[in-house]
Amino acid sequence: MRLRRLTVIAVLATVALLAAACGGSSSSSSPSASSKAAPSGVLTIDNESGGTWTCDFNPFNLSYISYSLGNVYEPLVFVNTLQDAKVTPWLATSWTWGAGNKTLTFTIRNGVKFSNGDPLTAADVVYTFNLLKAHKTLDINSVWSVLSSVAQQGSDQVVMTFKTAAVPYFYYIGDQIGIVDQKIWSTVANPVTYPDKNPVGTGAFMVSSSSCTPQNIKYTANPHYWQSGLPKVGTVNYPAFLTNDTANTYLANGQAQWGSQFIPNIQAFYLSKSPNYHYWFPPVANVSVFINLTNPILKNVAVRQAMAYAIDRHKASLIGEYGYEPASNQAGIVTPTFSGWLDAPQAASYGNNYAYSPQKAISILEQAGFKRGSDGIFQTPSGQPLSFTILDNGGFSDWVAAVNVIQQDLKAIGIQVKADNVAYSTWQSDLYAGQFQLAYGSETGGPSPYYELRQWLYSANSAPIGTAAGSNFERYSNPATDQLINEYGATTSPATQHSIVNQLQAVMLKEVPVIPVTESVDWFQYDTGSFSGWPTQGNPYAQPAAYNYPDWGQVMLQLAPKS
Amino acid sequence: MRYVLRRLAFFLLTLWVALTLNFVLPRLMPGNPATAIIGKFRGGISPQAVKVLEAQFGIGTHQNLVAQYVRYLGDVATLKFGVSLTTQPGASVGRIVLDAIPWTLGLVGITTVLAFILGTVIGIVSAWWRGGRMDSLLPPVFVIMTVIPYFWIGLVLILIFGVKLRWLPYFFSYNYTLTPGFNAAFISNVAEHAILPAFTLLITTIGVWILTMRNTMITTLAEDYVRMARAKGLPARRIMFDYAARNAILPNLTGFAMSLGFVVGGAILIEEVFNYQGVGYLLLQAVNNDDYPLMQALFLLITVAVLVAILLSDLATAILDPRTRTAG
Repeated sequence: MRLRRLTVIAVLATVALLAAACGGSSSSSSPSASSKAAPSGVLTIDNESGGTWTCDFNPFNLSYISYSLGNVYEPLVFVNTLQDAKVTPWLATSWTWGAGNKTLTFTIRNGVKFSNGDPLTAADVVYTFNLLKAHKTLDINSVWSVLSSVAQQGSDQVVMTFKTAAVPYFYYIGDQIGIVDQKIWSTVANPVTYPDKNPVGTGAFMVSSSSCTPQNIKYTANPHYWQSGLPKVGTVNYPAFLTNDTANTYLANGQAQWGSQFIPNIQAFYLSKSPNYHYWFPPVANVSVFINLTNPILKNVAVRQAMAYAIDRHKASLIGEYGYEPASNQAGIVTPTFSGWLDAPQAASYGNNYAYSPQKAISILEQAGFKRGSDGIFQTPSGQPLSFTILDNGGFSDWVAAVNVIQQDLKAIGIQVKADNVAYSTWQSDLYAGQFQLAYGSETGGPSPYYELRQWLYSANSAPIGTAAGSNFERYSNPATDQLINEYGATTSPATQHSIVNQLQAVMLKEVPVIPVTESVDWFQYDTGSFSGWPTQGNPYAQPAAYNYPDWGQVMLQLAPKS
Repeated sequence: MRYVLRRLAFFLLTLWVALTLNFVLPRLMPGNPATAIIGKFRGGISPQAVKVLEAQFGIGTHQNLVAQYVRYLGDVATLKFGVSLTTQPGASVGRIVLDAIPWTLGLVGITTVLAFILGTVIGIVSAWWRGGRMDSLLPPVFVIMTVIPYFWIGLVLILIFGVKLRWLPYFFSYNYTLTPGFNAAFISNVAEHAILPAFTLLITTIGVWILTMRNTMITTLAEDYVRMARAKGLPARRIMFDYAARNAILPNLTGFAMSLGFVVGGAILIEEVFNYQGVGYLLLQAVNNDDYPLMQALFLLITVAVLVAILLSDLATAILDPRTRTAG
């Protein structure tokens, strides 16, 4: 029948169309043969951002800073978290602290130009900092909470005067703020909403509104970069991935060379695909159980100490994080990254840094006067059971698995815990407002343990229950600890710093305000077949993930394409 | 005429209800954008800075709810949708949506139309030769396809055609090294990238159209006038398409109109599996981030699209089927 023939023809046509399309495949970026002189090669970054790009590059907006600070805009210095906060000059050649650590003077490098030819001067640095003072929302790290003035001195120096000594703020001031061109930004009507689609920076790479689409950001080498011979990479592509799975597949196929992904079962999925594929996950901060210290039962330090002994951190790391995230310790010092700060003898005296021991946990509870009920759950002398809920981010499947382990460990010693895995926004608002009994979460940390300890223990970071706090979610408050933290801020002497951090570790070990469980890591996968110069465990010259700023700019400077 | 006016009035009433619900529902959800903003600053922001942000974005200003509502209605009428709070902070909502809409309309829209046309044709033909070889094969196969989750089929197709055979691209809507433009190279690249997602969507949605069309056709074919036409010796194709199908297609039309309306909601799982930047994924992001302005704009878009589609289908039915006109 005529109609049947029509259908057959239609089917054949579809097959023919598919066959015709089979000639094309998605182009993979292959580095071209490189000459020593000109930058070459195409590097593709694989970092799932969860959305498409807006192509805004304002370096003072937290949503966009990780796409321009480091490679397009540069800070005054580079502080390397992985080398014990080693400081390398960048736009500043040297710096000195003044009397009482109340002034900080930077000497600005000569011969640096912005990508439009304007020379970088001390005036640009002064302008950048005063921009933050004028518009509080641009001051992401609240540097003006400790600064009183920033002014030019001579032809190439900038003097920063502090209200109170705050030496740790050197990191935020020197490493986390990109220097902008005064000639351009002084003409901007509203710097807070300024999208900065054509950023003009001193960095090794440039990007413009024509090289950025919702699907991909293309960075190209800056031919007038102040370090001659750099960068060696000619183009960097940063495609927009909506989900983790698509990003992981792209990386495993070799279409991207620099991954910053969490890949479950990395051996089978990624490493087995090529002998050039490697990974390295340096730990930088802690993921911890936050204990609400206003809770009447959890106020009792015995309960917290028992919980710290009862949690098997190695098992949580293995089951929740495939072992990618090492187990933490109760002193709160991330090892091996900050091993030099750990007061090992002190930690050892607290049950070997609270090594996993359910028996110790049970005996602590019994000695504190808790008695097991008929259901095996401990009760307070007044008959209240030790039964709590733990708030968790349900969107992180690895955290859900780790919390599951914690729940079982605590049940084994007679503390009942129910896991409350909720949506991200609910988890966040409840965590910040202190609406929880136990909660699983993390702080950001910094280039030395002090930063995370301060986030955990400084009472000014906290807020009353019901009001959102920036950190210190457990609502820990102790004037003596605050004083220690302030003292650290006033000194540059490593000996004093170590002594204070030792005392802060004592707080963690004695009072157990939070229980660090696993160490959060930088996710990093790399392909040595196409590029050389990657940071490795043996050569940790920068934090390696593409989302670490400004470290990723350092990595982009060191990479060279392999011909 | 009265019919048309009544439909228009009903349309305006449902539109107003939809607008009001669109205003109320996001505000009933737990969480608020302020804490989402703090979250973006990851513990490095002072409470004063948060207050400044909140004031800038107008959160927590405790403005009278009625005043907010009136302002919202005015904004909608003038197509002012504000700026995104947390998904892409500071970016105009209108621009974000406009960036994503063409891809969704293109992929999902064209595929829906194709699925409808193909499904209807297959349904008609299957019904005419019911019990024949085509009828025994195609409808059951496609109905089974409809039941299987379409993201699973998508993943299987990616595995076969993308990863193993490397015939077709399966990521992104176009090769991002190309600059978008109305030239042959770009358009053919877009088409090439759309083959796998479109095919997935096609084979998983076609089953519904086949089945409904086939069943209404079978009922129609039992009518007297069809038997009369056959007795009179009209060719089979003429009876099938000019008489029976025209009557049988009416119920399908309403369903088609509604599914067209929902096209603007995007096919979120397809977008996730194929990393296709569309409206569906945007909506998920907005909801996850408590991004009120973006959420409202997207909900509004979907509701209005469906309402308009239903209105148009009612009018089309009125034109095609005289019986609806007189019954009013």
